[in-house]
Amino acid sequence: MDVSDGAVIADSLERPAAFGAIFDRHGSSLFRFLARRVHPSEAEDLLGDVFRIAFERRSAFERDRDSARPWLYGIAANVVAKHYRSEARRLRAMARVSAERAVDDDPAERAVAAADAGARWTRVVDAIGALPAAERQVLLLFAWEELSYDEIALALGIPVGTVRSRLSRGRARLGALTAGPGATTHSAAHSVRSGR
Amino acid sequence: MTDDLEPLRQSRPDRLLPDDPPDPEILVLQKARLMTAIGGATAAAEHRRNFSLYPRLAYRDEVAALDFLTRAFGLVEQREARMEHPDGMLAWLEIADGVVMIGRAGSEHHGLLSPLDAGAPTAMVNVYVHDIDAHYHRAESAGAQIVMPLEDMFWGDRRYEALDLEGHRWHFAERLSEIRARSES
Repeated sequence: MDVSDGAVIADSLERPAAFGAIFDRHGSSLFRFLARRVHPSEAEDLLGDVFRIAFERRSAFERDRDSARPWLYGIAANVVAKHYRSEARRLRAMARVSAERAVDDDPAERAVAAADAGARWTRVVDAIGALPAAERQVLLLFAWEELSYDEIALALGIPVGTVRSRLSRGRARLGALTAGPGATTHSAAHSVRSGR
Repeated sequence: MTDDLEPLRQSRPDRLLPDDPPDPEILVLQKARLMTAIGGATAAAEHRRNFSLYPRLAYRDEVAALDFLTRAFGLVEQREARMEHPDGMLAWLEIADGVVMIGRAGSEHHGLLSPLDAGAPTAMVNVYVHDIDAHYHRAESAGAQIVMPLEDMFWGDRRYEALDLEGHRWHFAERLSEIRARSES
């Protein structure tokens, strides 16, 4: 990529149409991010929202930055946070899929292992939904989107230290929520009640 | 990375349910809307029609293929439609009013083979271009392997055939009547 995103965005202050290149570079990544978090049909509209918001706020983008991707992820994460009902529906649908998939697609001798795996995925998916929003956001940017600590800090506008602490709390909670059937029930209930 | 996040990584929706990426038309449409919203709408950003039929070609190195096809054969990428993914990129390339999709070869990619793996091409893409002679010289100088020379054919086309980097076969032609009309005007 020859011209940095910072330079393109600086250029777009004078020539708005130049901002189209930012969509060309990052549109498909952002769409995939949104489609993982909400239903793909809603992701399409949210993608439009993300880039319109980015366009309106482009004067705040630091022009010496190479990549606008963390910044766009931050905008998208906020947009997703406002659609938490849709996110919850997406997680429930995934939990169903992971349970059914393990049951039908394995030969008999692997059926038991598959059922175990299915139950494990279901627990993971349930646990994602049970995490406090701030921890879920950081964990998913890290594990699903493969952003670095620095990029997550930039995206969410929080210090790197906070990224680390949320990640480690989220990890511990996820571990407890997915440890096993007994542990799951207990800690899930606890986590929801504690309201963190 | 420690392993405790592996179940979380594996539970990403597109890993739980491996699927084709979404229709690139979504990206084309959303970009057109963005350009309209920011007042930079141009003819190029207008909503394009869906193509009812287009082939998908498989390459071991689809990134190199994209570079070669645009450089040697003059195909133009629908840039906003590109899907980048660690397991392989998908791109849609246009020439005149046709489009071809390219992606990575392999059993996990619809079982499609590159001619490098198959040992031979099993299909040919036919393309009508403007100024076949210029097209031929561009392809040849970019290193395309010419497998049928540029010549006038009895059915009224001037044509040549070439292999791309991995051996997919392409047939490029122009109607002789169009060449004549051009030289007369």
